[in-house]
Amino acid sequence: MKNPSHFLPSTRREFLNMSGKGIGLLAFSRFAPSFLVNASLAATPAPEKDRSILVLVQLAGGNDGLNTVVPFEDARYYALRPTLAIAKDRVLPISDTLGLHPSCPELQGLLKDGRLAIVQNVGYPNPNHSHFRSTEIWETASPSDEFLSTGWIGRYLDNACAGSPAEDHDPLAVHVNTLNGIPESFMGAQEHPTFGLLANGVGRRDSEETRRLLGATGGPAPAGGERGFLQQTLMDSLVTETRVQQMLADYRPLAEYPANPFATSLRSVAGLIAAGLPTRVYFVTLTGFDTHYNQAGTQASLLATLATGLASFQKDLAAHRLDDQVTTMTFSEFGRRPFENESRGTDHGTAAPLFVMGSRLKGGLHGMPPSLDLPKNQDVAYSTDFRSVYATMLENWLGYPSEPVLGGKFAPLPLFA
Amino acid sequence: MSITLTQSPAAAWAPLPETAWNAEAARHLLRRAGWTARREEVERARQEGLAATLDRLFPASPAIFPEPVQVTRFAEEAPAYAERERQAQTPEERRLIQRERREHAQTAIQDMSLRWLAYAAQPGNAAFAKWTLFLSDIYVVGFDKVPSPPLIYRHFDLLAQQGLGTAPALSKAVSRSPAMMLYLDLNQNRREAPNENFARELFELFVLGEGNYTETDIKEAARAFTGYRLRPATGEVLFVAAQHDSGLKTVFGQTGDLKGDDVIDLAYAQPAAGAFVPHELVKFYLADTILPPEYLRALGDSWRTEGGYDLRWLARRFFGSQLFFDPQFRGEFIKSPIQFYLGMVQDLDLDVIPLARFVLNPLRQMGQVLYTPPNVRGWVGGRAWVNSASLAARRTLVELLFSPLDEHKVNADEQLDLVAAHTNGVDRFTVADGSLQPLNALAAPAAVEVLETDYLPVRSEPSFTTGLADFIAAGASPAEHLRRVRRATITLLQSPEYQLC
Repeated sequence: MKNPSHFLPSTRREFLNMSGKGIGLLAFSRFAPSFLVNASLAATPAPEKDRSILVLVQLAGGNDGLNTVVPFEDARYYALRPTLAIAKDRVLPISDTLGLHPSCPELQGLLKDGRLAIVQNVGYPNPNHSHFRSTEIWETASPSDEFLSTGWIGRYLDNACAGSPAEDHDPLAVHVNTLNGIPESFMGAQEHPTFGLLANGVGRRDSEETRRLLGATGGPAPAGGERGFLQQTLMDSLVTETRVQQMLADYRPLAEYPANPFATSLRSVAGLIAAGLPTRVYFVTLTGFDTHYNQAGTQASLLATLATGLASFQKDLAAHRLDDQVTTMTFSEFGRRPFENESRGTDHGTAAPLFVMGSRLKGGLHGMPPSLDLPKNQDVAYSTDFRSVYATMLENWLGYPSEPVLGGKFAPLPLFA
Repeated sequence: MSITLTQSPAAAWAPLPETAWNAEAARHLLRRAGWTARREEVERARQEGLAATLDRLFPASPAIFPEPVQVTRFAEEAPAYAERERQAQTPEERRLIQRERREHAQTAIQDMSLRWLAYAAQPGNAAFAKWTLFLSDIYVVGFDKVPSPPLIYRHFDLLAQQGLGTAPALSKAVSRSPAMMLYLDLNQNRREAPNENFARELFELFVLGEGNYTETDIKEAARAFTGYRLRPATGEVLFVAAQHDSGLKTVFGQTGDLKGDDVIDLAYAQPAAGAFVPHELVKFYLADTILPPEYLRALGDSWRTEGGYDLRWLARRFFGSQLFFDPQFRGEFIKSPIQFYLGMVQDLDLDVIPLARFVLNPLRQMGQVLYTPPNVRGWVGGRAWVNSASLAARRTLVELLFSPLDEHKVNADEQLDLVAAHTNGVDRFTVADGSLQPLNALAAPAAVEVLETDYLPVRSEPSFTTGLADFIAAGASPAEHLRRVRRATITLLQSPEYQLC
């Protein structure tokens, strides 16, 4: 065993070893997850060479698109944003008319290297201004007047993994975020092995302690009935958790990550990808974009966190030669109102640009920017439906037909070369 | 789980003898009838005795959940929406208005869900709130098919107002509940084209259970239920004689110009009617394993003959019986997500956080959306609540309740809700160090003893118990000791045993 403080076995050999030594683990023979029992699955599954992985980065709260990708030649932009507009000489130009927020030089660099695409003005018809509801619309990929109880990733797994044995407990989808639990995106009609890493909310020491203490709930003679059933279910997930934690503990990143929870989350994702977990989708959250008051400082610091985190992640993946396998995309429940409010902030809006990062991309600008020819306090009209972005990821990246997942035809974008 | 009942069916439902009433029995009753067994409630129940406790849990006039302001407002604005829709010039304009209304409804139902949870979390309301939830798991309606918060509220209010009266009266009232009429298409039941949906579920899911009626009974009963009409704008229910099929119908062998209420009376005159609600009681409150039919029949027969189908009588008989307290049932039932959450809120002396994201999302992840059961049969319950994802969601919820809520990091609208909550003295959102001090002051084994006694329906494995005590004891500095008490409490709430009641 690499680390004797890990109470639970993470491979079959460890399991047998510990059991053989009679150090309390015999108990687990009754709970042993099938991946431990089944010799053919005992070793870490060989990563498929062509396995494509999608990393979703949620910018929660509603990121202001106009100050992220700035139309610095548009006089209307400066009229809309008397205090918040970013001066032409401060933006990081990416075309003749558009520039990035000054706090994202790393994203400008990625763009130059062809590792970053920007899909402009992404939204959906009949936009909703509620955080809760609009997040739900993005995560369930529903039309705004329809309520779905499953998420788009969940439905992808429902379809793509139907009939495949769910015996080993390796998670197909992993979320690394705060304490809000399983993203709605992951909810499927069937149960899929998903896994949550409480990167920010609960410290590593805390979660290790809990796992170790809970490991003793099985006892030497596991109960039958409801209690035994619960013990069994818990043991299964503790073994997965232990295994994942071991992967993270063993991970040596080849790029430096900034010291913040968002970057740490991305570092964890890189670690799990490098360890060969068969996970297809990761979900990471960066929160705080609801900038109704004094937006400038808040958004600048959030975008810096985003840019530096993404750049480290991409650099790390490239150094591990894993960048060919991974595409990362951001999304936010909505953009913000083009008209600045009275509090040097912006209210809930509609469409906004999103970022797609990876080495197999057709980088640069995609889609059409919004028209700012707007009546007083009106929202921009979207030009690319977010489900077209999803269709692109499903069809051209994950390699799965999008129609059964999205419940309709959405034309993929030319994001992949 | 397999059950071996040694008593005769008649003896099993006899009242628990006074000598058997103790703290353990009180805990069992409080955990099953309500959400959990708080120390002071256990002590009070033990002193008052079983009969007085049952009187208190199922009172003659319980505190009813009041209509939330947002729901009232939605109802007041309904005519305006209807008017605007009528005046809409284009289909697109009409669709926009409909969407606006739907979104308004969604906000109102979320608000109602949070308020109901806050109401149900009050220890004094727990048993009655759970009873209403139980009835709503029989008389199921769902917001997915009836997207009207006022009608959903009215349905639940009806279940609360009449939920401790007689079952036939309740079923008759439910047949006039607008939400039910919409949910089971009673409103579509016309003389020329009878819709059997309501009649079928009345027999199968409200009164008799499958196999206790014929298809002809359903067809004929559906004719008897013609003529009920609903005015959608006001929610007013009318009986329109002209639309009623006044021909002769034969239901359960009785022929006449039967009306809906007559059919309900005929159904309750069937021998199977007595055992149906007892069957549902067992499933909702007692065990995943169904009792042998003779036991259900025994309770059903006395409910009909002695109890006159009175639901309060039934609740008292059921929760006061020797069978209910049989040790085989104790600590062997999996909590529903709502019970897990509300029980924890009570155990930890917390308030329901007035934010959908922090309360309704976890409930959804654990598998239970209030006011939206999966289908007309309600929630399956028991083991169906638990899989690796929902168990992970339960564990995450525990961590959430122990992590300080950063009120500056939530969205602006959520901040407003929090400010309003603070104004009303609702601010115990997560577990503060101060509330752990009493535990922290104890020696480690004593602290674990308190945790297990107060929170768990069955003792943990000794290895777990000593593991927790050793873990706490190893905290050398005061701060580290307190941190370990906190971590040990979290761990205990995540343990398999805490998922049970």
